[in-house]
Amino acid sequence: MTINRRTFGTRMAGAALGLALALSSVALPAPAMAAGFPEKSVTLVVWAGAGGALDTYGRKLAELLEKESGWSVKVDNRPGGSGAVGVSQIMTQPADGYNILVFTGTLTFGIAQGLIPFELKDFRMLRAMQSEPSSLAVLSDSQFKTVEDFVKYMKENPSGLKVGGHAPGGFHQYMLYQLMKSGGFESGWIPHDASGKVTLALLGKHIDAAMMTPSTGLAQVKNGEIKLLGVSTDKRSEFLPDTPTFKEQGYDIEGAVWRGIAVKAGTPDDVVNSIQAAVDKVTASADWKKFQTEQFQDSPDWKEEEFTKRAESDLSNQLEFLKANGYAQ
Amino acid sequence: MDGILQSLGVIFSFSGLAVLIIGALLGIVIGALPGLGPSIGLSLLIPFTYNLGPELSMLMMISLYTSAEYGGSISAILLSTPGTAAAAATAIDGYAMARKGRANEAISISLTASTVGGVFGGLALLLLAMPLASLALKFGPAGYFAVGVFGLTSVAALSGGSLIKGLVCAAFGLALATIGIDPIAGTPRFTFGLFELYEGVPFLAALIGLFAVSEALVMIENRVAAAPVIKDKVGHVFMSGALWKETWRSMLSGSVIGTLLGILPGVGGNIACWVARDYARARDPHPEEFGKGSANGIAAPEASNNATVGGALVPLLALGVPGSPTTAIMVGALIMHGLHPGPQLFTEAPSLVYAILFGTIIASLVQYAAGSLFLPLMARVMRLPDAVIAVGIMAFAVLGAFAIRNLMFDVYLMLGFGVVGYLMKKLRFPVAPIVLAMVLGYLVESNYRTALVSSQGDYMIFITDPVSLLFLVLSLVSLLTPLWRRLQKRRVRQVDVDETANGTAR
Repeated sequence: MTINRRTFGTRMAGAALGLALALSSVALPAPAMAAGFPEKSVTLVVWAGAGGALDTYGRKLAELLEKESGWSVKVDNRPGGSGAVGVSQIMTQPADGYNILVFTGTLTFGIAQGLIPFELKDFRMLRAMQSEPSSLAVLSDSQFKTVEDFVKYMKENPSGLKVGGHAPGGFHQYMLYQLMKSGGFESGWIPHDASGKVTLALLGKHIDAAMMTPSTGLAQVKNGEIKLLGVSTDKRSEFLPDTPTFKEQGYDIEGAVWRGIAVKAGTPDDVVNSIQAAVDKVTASADWKKFQTEQFQDSPDWKEEEFTKRAESDLSNQLEFLKANGYAQ
Repeated sequence: MDGILQSLGVIFSFSGLAVLIIGALLGIVIGALPGLGPSIGLSLLIPFTYNLGPELSMLMMISLYTSAEYGGSISAILLSTPGTAAAAATAIDGYAMARKGRANEAISISLTASTVGGVFGGLALLLLAMPLASLALKFGPAGYFAVGVFGLTSVAALSGGSLIKGLVCAAFGLALATIGIDPIAGTPRFTFGLFELYEGVPFLAALIGLFAVSEALVMIENRVAAAPVIKDKVGHVFMSGALWKETWRSMLSGSVIGTLLGILPGVGGNIACWVARDYARARDPHPEEFGKGSANGIAAPEASNNATVGGALVPLLALGVPGSPTTAIMVGALIMHGLHPGPQLFTEAPSLVYAILFGTIIASLVQYAAGSLFLPLMARVMRLPDAVIAVGIMAFAVLGAFAIRNLMFDVYLMLGFGVVGYLMKKLRFPVAPIVLAMVLGYLVESNYRTALVSSQGDYMIFITDPVSLLFLVLSLVSLLTPLWRRLQKRRVRQVDVDETANGTAR
């Protein structure tokens, strides 16, 4: 009996040790043998924790890079510092393409606010693969039927409604700011630290209107509890054919928060070309298209030149917004 | 009805039971390892769930989540090292009891209470998901603020001998909680330009340092003193009838508190464990036993942190919004299977919904069985000399701090907190109020300011909001009850003294 127990205990200790080793081995490079790039395993550095939308995208990309392009890929979650931890992770590695940053459009906000101590020229922005718009959301029993109704009310009652969304000084508040400029009204902003809490606040009537990605309150948007008055895409989204855009209602607002990949500046062109070719195989695959549809993601598919241009114009526009609202000097 | 039968078919199939058992064993180990909590456990599991169906994936995740909430108490009891943040409250009485040579008893209380809490939370989810979800919607920023204040009133109970020392420690914890990006202004505060601090002082680093490293340092210092000989035999997992009688009330109150606080996103087990402990202490006929190895001091927090699992699944299923960081990862896994959580799942995938509902209850029972398998290992841990335990604590502390974000910064921070905790122990300052204040500081501050932003600076919102008013009144009651009791006791004693005096005179 004692022996049994001892053996069992030893095994359990062994299992615990094994688990610890398995966890630590995440950081170890694995050998590979393909010719050209990549010659070894590639790391996708996801600048958010596991489980969120960015992580889901990163893991799908890793899975398909292995399946479609025959790469060996590891996903490394490096959350923290509003993305600064993940960015530093690739910046401290050689510019050889083996560390690819998986990141979001909040990069430009982070740079503009001085939270991320790097500049756009420190990156080669390779591809924007997913994007989601913002939308103006109210409960379905709201008196507002169109963006016009909302703007008219806000003009007559400055800051008369509680408007909120995810994060202070982030993408959604930036889109509200654009709407304020275009519609000529004033509004406060009630920040929430998680997008799920925005849905709860709207459903619980703690806020009157929200700026949020349509997928934030997906269940309620689908069953009609939440009504989207306008969405910030250029043309009507294929996922929301009945929701009019801001543009068609006369407000010239367009914007989306994107997710994509980048490498450190100075990565040689032939390596970049290999990465682009591998990503092309991923985006052409049926698996990827199915994933995008299921996730309600638009596929901008901006390549390096357009992506960089987009990021630069985002950065200068956001800087103006942040300064006007006291989020940056 | 078909959905119910199908889901039970999945749960009681060979693969269903296999994933539940694997999830429970992994969960206990991951929970017991400091730094690796249920969220990290689930994210490690995600790649393996690609090839399982959505039902099996969810069963495995729920099982791991539930068992990790129990597993956290094992290291809390044996090593004074809370394996998860929600096991912090258990460390106080659990470790005290273990040092008295009653580790087996402590662990069997924890395992039983965890199971009771898990089943309770699961039943609440099964029977009351919709009404509980509409309850959660009543909480606005003012309500969350008041809940946080209510939690802070338990500082008095954690202060040990000196209320002043307790308040000093709580103030230190609140100050630490202000480090990071300002929740309203969006700019970094008190970060000294270190981006490692943008998300605030990593709570687990502080917790491991204050509880575990400080204890290891004390052990090293006492190495000349004879190690206490613990002759406890570990083998049985069942609680005695007397123990049941002593603890059932705390288990029940802990379960209710855990379920209710689990529903509120951003509250959850880290806070529920303290509130449950405080409630149990206030109702206990021997409150002075708390902190010295009270059975109720283990039963209440352990029941509550497992009950939060069912609670956190309520908004997920009823509203499609995750109730905790851990359930947010479950959303990720569902999305990978092309499913979006929310009320429409009841019609789109009823068998999945029922698998989650019944799975939560059954996972708690599987956890009980799996938990009893680990007892022989624990017996060996307890027979180790202090020197080995101290080194083991340090090793796990470093591993755990690094595992939070893979940053050495967190390891150094954790060691710094260890030294602070050691000095506090020397000066007889209680460490628990720091931990409690760190958990609640952000909740209180961000919601206080959000409430004022939304009321445009009108303080009446804290009184006109019914939830806020309720919890502020409860806070007052919680603060004044001990005072009132003390006054009453003094009056009784005064009467006694008077009578004795009269007697002598006569």
